[in-house]
Amino acid sequence: MNRLFRTTVALAALTIALPAFADDAKPLAGQSITVLLPSGQSPTLAADFEKDTGIKVDLQMLTWDDIRPKLITGLIAGTPPADVTEFDWSWTGQFAAAGWYEDLTPLIDADTVKDIAGSAIFTVDGKLLGVPYSNDFRVMLINRKHFTDAGITDTPKTLDELVADAKIIKEKGITTYPIGMPLSTSEGTSTTWYLLTKAFGGELFDDNFKPLFTAPDSAGYKALEFEINALKAGLVDPASTGLKDSQINESMFGQGQTSIMISGEPGRIAQFADPTKSKVSGQIEAILVATESGKTRSYGLLEALGIPASSEHKEAALAFIKWMTSKDYQIKNYGVGVLPTRTSALKQLNDDGKLLSGAVLVEQAPTVEPLFKQGTPTWYPQFSSAVSNAINQAVKGEVTVAQAVQSIADETVKAQQQ
Amino acid sequence: MTLAAAVPARRKGDKGIDGSADARLGLMLAAPIVFAMLSLVLIPVASTLWESMHRVNPMMAGTPFIGLQHYRDLLADPIVNEAWRNTFIYVAICVALETAGGIGAALLINQAGRWRRYLLAAVVLPWALPGVVNAVVWGWIYNPAFGLLNGILVAAGLDFEKFVWFNDRTIALFAVSLVHVWRMLPLTAVIVLAALQSIPNDLYEAARIDGASRPKMFANITLPLIRGGIAIAMTQSTVAAFNFFDEAWILTGSARGTRPILVQVYLEAFQNLHFSYGMALSVLVMIASLAVSLVYVLRVQRVTRLD
Repeated sequence: MNRLFRTTVALAALTIALPAFADDAKPLAGQSITVLLPSGQSPTLAADFEKDTGIKVDLQMLTWDDIRPKLITGLIAGTPPADVTEFDWSWTGQFAAAGWYEDLTPLIDADTVKDIAGSAIFTVDGKLLGVPYSNDFRVMLINRKHFTDAGITDTPKTLDELVADAKIIKEKGITTYPIGMPLSTSEGTSTTWYLLTKAFGGELFDDNFKPLFTAPDSAGYKALEFEINALKAGLVDPASTGLKDSQINESMFGQGQTSIMISGEPGRIAQFADPTKSKVSGQIEAILVATESGKTRSYGLLEALGIPASSEHKEAALAFIKWMTSKDYQIKNYGVGVLPTRTSALKQLNDDGKLLSGAVLVEQAPTVEPLFKQGTPTWYPQFSSAVSNAINQAVKGEVTVAQAVQSIADETVKAQQQ
Repeated sequence: MTLAAAVPARRKGDKGIDGSADARLGLMLAAPIVFAMLSLVLIPVASTLWESMHRVNPMMAGTPFIGLQHYRDLLADPIVNEAWRNTFIYVAICVALETAGGIGAALLINQAGRWRRYLLAAVVLPWALPGVVNAVVWGWIYNPAFGLLNGILVAAGLDFEKFVWFNDRTIALFAVSLVHVWRMLPLTAVIVLAALQSIPNDLYEAARIDGASRPKMFANITLPLIRGGIAIAMTQSTVAAFNFFDEAWILTGSARGTRPILVQVYLEAFQNLHFSYGMALSVLVMIASLAVSLVYVLRVQRVTRLD
């Protein structure tokens, strides 16, 4: 009887104490936050986070190009567009100058910052404004089956070889337009030109941000000529003048209608490998960025998570950022095409043989350079818009290559002076 | 009997058409719209005008007064001038097509007899659609690979296989305008239809007795009596065409060849974060829109007096 009594009391005490234990493990349980991210995140992201922390997430997803306008309107008005938002590398200059985002330096531990080397891109005047979660740099993606069907066994290392291979694929009727390249007035058009400028062995600006792409023998000039020549040769779909990079990836390359993505995203390889979402599962590989000289180059376009200064749930927002950039979640998130930013996570994926095209990614990674060595300038969005507009006009034949690059330079100088 | 004798003399405190109580009632009734206009139109316009003379940029400290500097810069900005050119082309195409098409549609509906209500509902339908939805639907119609338009033209034996409608600037300006016309034409039709229905039948009967032909009746009776309605319709068409944004943005993004002036305002303010520069441009858009509309408004006033 005594034992029964003691057992009953102990069980009752444990039952009462259980919620308290739960609260200790999930101190922010019951709170709600809003999160604004680009489309294509894991469908279970919100549920997984709530399960681990008890914090409810209202996850809003938009295409990458549509996120910035939504962010800006909220930030200008002083109302948080969300508690955690996408924070692209290209916005760093503007957002830092405007003081719109919380300084995460004292909130993120040194080990995390060390493990995520790309954090430096989001650090301005010693303030960490975003924690990188998507390790986006550029490789080239090819449909190996198309190459094999065309009788091509060697991987192209130079741009001339790449064009020659594309012509063979087209001649054999494997794809009508073998090269996938956005030419619309969108960010993807600009980033493709940046990559090609590097592939032609040049830079966009000198140390004083003076444009280096207006001379006919400059890399930027040759890069634009390359794009126009590929279009004129029938290697690029003329409809690309109205397509974003995401549309070309998903509706053309992912459907087997294109054989080469010039500006390939490493994270997409996992997405294309999923037979439930892709018609080219098992056919896609990354290759090193082909260049004029044959010596590969690339640059990084990391994406981070930031907390708007006007957010009212900063603690829960920080918990989300820590959770989403943790090693375990980054490894899991690779399944939906997000390449980890943590060196430790990348290493583990590669060691486990789960990193698709791992050897190429490991070889390309050390060649990744920042686009702007001095840090992203405040006028970057104006520059990028000028680039995509000039390319769009040039490929439509509205302006010459010389006029296009000059208009980019003029717009850049104007932006620098404003 | 004189009028003074017929109308009894007013006593103090009487309520009448010119009494102070009526004046108070009038003021009370007018107060909500005066308040709404002040708070939603006049004060924001004045504030925008004032701020456009300052440097307002969240990336820079302070908002110093710079006078008309932004306006001077805007006049010399080649990209802004290109957007103006595009806008005037849109205004010309849209106003011409909406007016001609709207009058034609209104005349047809007016003759439709018992089918009039169904025809009117069908014509008004595009106007009920939001601009973005309208643009997305037309984006599919114009799609080079699977678009309805190319499909019809190819089926008709024409060489429009994968034709890209927005790769030629002239065609693109017209194609984008057409989407706006499709949405706004019903409003013109409804306004003109209302004017048509107010014309007494007696006038047409008298004209018929005098042996007038249908074109003569249209030119000498219909057109003069619907001039007021047409002028109102043209005013709204002009203002709507100056405010052209949704269709151009969805169909061709920020492409310079088709970029209307409001997209330029948006890019200056929300992409480049040069708020006061964008505000100065929006003030110029408002002035241009008002100036062109004023021509029609003055015309309406003259026509109304004649009527």
